[in-house]
Amino acid sequence: MIFASKEFFVFLMVVLLAYHLLRSRTHKYGFLLAASWLFYAWCSPQYLWVIILCTVIDYAAGLAIEATEDERLRKRWLLASILANLGLLFAFKYTAFAYDNALSLARLLNPDVHERAWEILLPLGISFHTFQGISYTVDVYRRQIKAVRSFLDYALFVSFFPQLAAGPIVRAVEFLPQMVTPPRVTSKQIADGLHFFLLGMFKKLFIADQLDALFVSPVFGNPGAFDPAAHRWAMLAWAAQIYCDFSGYSDMAIGCAKWFGFELPRNFNFPFLATSITDFWRRWHLSLSTWLRDYVYFPLGGSKGGPVRTYANLLLVFLFCGLWHGATWAWFVYGLYNGALMGLHRAYDRALTGRAWADAVRRSVIWKGVAWIATMLQIVAGLILIRMADWRSGAMLFESLVAFDAWPTWSPRIPIWVPMLMALVLLGHLFSGLRNRLCGLLELPSGVRAAVYVFSTAMLIVFAPGVGKSFIYIAF
Amino acid sequence: MNFKTLSLPRFAPRLRPRRAIAATAYLQRNRTVALFLVGLITLDLSVGLFHDLWQRHSPDDYAWRVQACQERRPDLVLVGGSPVAEGLNPSVVAGTDSDRHGFNLGMSGGTTSDFYHAVIHACPAPPRVLVYGITASDLNDSRGEPHGPHSLMTWNDLAGWVRTRPEASEWVVRHFLRGKLERISNLFHYRYSIRLWAAIKVNDAFPGGSPLTLKEAEEQRDYAAGLVSGNGYSPLKGFEHAHFSEFKKIGAKGTRFDHLHYLHNYRTGSHLKYLTKLIDWCEANRVTLILLDMPVTADLERMYAKEFAEFRLRLGEVERERGLRVLRPTRAELRLEDEQFADLIHMNRDGANRLSTWLASKLEWSPR
Repeated sequence: MIFASKEFFVFLMVVLLAYHLLRSRTHKYGFLLAASWLFYAWCSPQYLWVIILCTVIDYAAGLAIEATEDERLRKRWLLASILANLGLLFAFKYTAFAYDNALSLARLLNPDVHERAWEILLPLGISFHTFQGISYTVDVYRRQIKAVRSFLDYALFVSFFPQLAAGPIVRAVEFLPQMVTPPRVTSKQIADGLHFFLLGMFKKLFIADQLDALFVSPVFGNPGAFDPAAHRWAMLAWAAQIYCDFSGYSDMAIGCAKWFGFELPRNFNFPFLATSITDFWRRWHLSLSTWLRDYVYFPLGGSKGGPVRTYANLLLVFLFCGLWHGATWAWFVYGLYNGALMGLHRAYDRALTGRAWADAVRRSVIWKGVAWIATMLQIVAGLILIRMADWRSGAMLFESLVAFDAWPTWSPRIPIWVPMLMALVLLGHLFSGLRNRLCGLLELPSGVRAAVYVFSTAMLIVFAPGVGKSFIYIAF
Repeated sequence: MNFKTLSLPRFAPRLRPRRAIAATAYLQRNRTVALFLVGLITLDLSVGLFHDLWQRHSPDDYAWRVQACQERRPDLVLVGGSPVAEGLNPSVVAGTDSDRHGFNLGMSGGTTSDFYHAVIHACPAPPRVLVYGITASDLNDSRGEPHGPHSLMTWNDLAGWVRTRPEASEWVVRHFLRGKLERISNLFHYRYSIRLWAAIKVNDAFPGGSPLTLKEAEEQRDYAAGLVSGNGYSPLKGFEHAHFSEFKKIGAKGTRFDHLHYLHNYRTGSHLKYLTKLIDWCEANRVTLILLDMPVTADLERMYAKEFAEFRLRLGEVERERGLRVLRPTRAELRLEDEQFADLIHMNRDGANRLSTWLASKLEWSPR
């Protein structure tokens, strides 16, 4: 049951209705937890125990950490929680990858070693809820938050179904205070929930899925059959697709949560307006970026241990980030690539900042334009790694990207819808992002907003594919 | 003094404005959502006003054929699945008598259960002859065609199905209700037609911008035009001029040229109950029913030998039990080669002409 499916609408309607009809706090939260577990079991029936086990361990660890002042004991409980979460994550996500690599090594000694004949299905949202659990116990350990007394509250924080499958990775400090009393849904939340839910659906079904079916899949599946101009458009379309797919999910999650009276953190901030790779990671998947900063980069020492240590930390954090997304060498290289770019950008920034002439140049519009183009090239080149069918096709696409002889050009094999859909993404960035707004539409008069929602709904009904594709980040 | 009567005019005016103010305030607070709902309903109703336009771009061919057959009251009705829709031309089958009219009630993808419902609704005035071009896939209980419950059945038919085929009752209730729900919204109901209409309009503005969608849109528009203008016979261009022999040379693997999934997991018995009901209906209405075992390619019969054997066994049983006339033309008799087929099961124009002419020669028309 994915968000953009008919089953989910029915499920959401029933849960919303029942939740608002119930009166007491316990009944409301108990029902919402049951619904969230049902949602989980619907998608990953064999793995319901995984989320329950993680919940029990982290809940118990939180209480145990708070109950003692003995630092060694506190650290042990923290380690137990981290190891349990990472252990489960590793077991499900990385076992096959590790096994395959061990096989490749073994094959150097004995070429007759058999291929792996088994597969491990990934439990729903395991990369997200394990990180949520870790952040909770670490925050309790750091005495930044109090441990949650009620198991029901903690379990609902971990399993709240709108953000269960693909984030945002919600921190306890952001969510638990909202749970003290069941939040009353305001009129603004109803309208804004509609806004974000429709916006997310529109991004996912109207833009991402259409770009994929019309152009991205055919070109990435067989780049040899297309010319370099088509490759370039397909790479840009892929960037638009993955953004709309993932931010679409986040928007739908934010919208759904509003209808229950909860606020989830923003996960994207117009990433394609970034003028440097550092800026990009401050705008893309914010809940993961900040999680990695707070729970990996800072504990590693951050930028306090001298330049070499800082660059090594950056590289490590992005390697971790790459592997968090997927257990493949392509994701490893993606992490390495971004870590290296971050390091390079940091070095360049340090070298120029404070020099009057450099600051003046960097403030100019022309320089910002150049920086934007350079950043987009870096982003798109990185995204090739995670979509290419194999390394050879990846190299072919990369070659087209950096062949500046005729960039950008048109190809008759590009369906007219592709630039139209990409223009919508650009329009969204310009309309809201440039004015530094959450979404410019929210500030328009009610009548205009309603008209836009009616138009979007009509577009979704008419043009969305009959069967929605799964969200890309659900696989992570 | 009557205090009750006095109190009414004092309190009533106070209560009404308070409620009205509360309602206005509520609407004011939720005006975005309220306007959205009003806008959506208005748009939906507006879409409904153009239903003729949408139907011209992608007709509900099941419903349309039933309605057209009701209006034309033909002497001869040809019913069956897509092999009938593509392979039997009623003008040829009805013969040279200009007073005799035939109608093709072929329903692509349908099953015997669907054909029964199509016939009873399409023929309020029973025809003189009903030819059911039957083939193995019509009787496969592993399959059902959602279009049937969507477009052919009434609430009574649904109840009848649940009684007749209880093992498929969950399926039919689900699809029947889904069909009814889809009709609540014009926008949803006509979404496919609007999409194809838009493809043609976009192509007018940007020629060649979306060739695949345009091709589909034009095919559907031509199909709709063919259905509207005649006797239900509107072969798809893709079938009319295709040659199975050529596709075999190319060796199209994993397509409709090397398998027919309608025959997978083959089992019979449940749809067969509706064949019995169709025979009963014909007897009750004095309609001459002829079953025509539709010719298919030699490849298909070879690939699904077991399935065709079971189908023909069942056909033989019905023939014996009910004393029906079953026509079994052979490929040799009709001189049908791969050249006369569009794919494994559908005939092209040449094949359709041969079969239609042959069938016309087998029909005996008693005086009215």
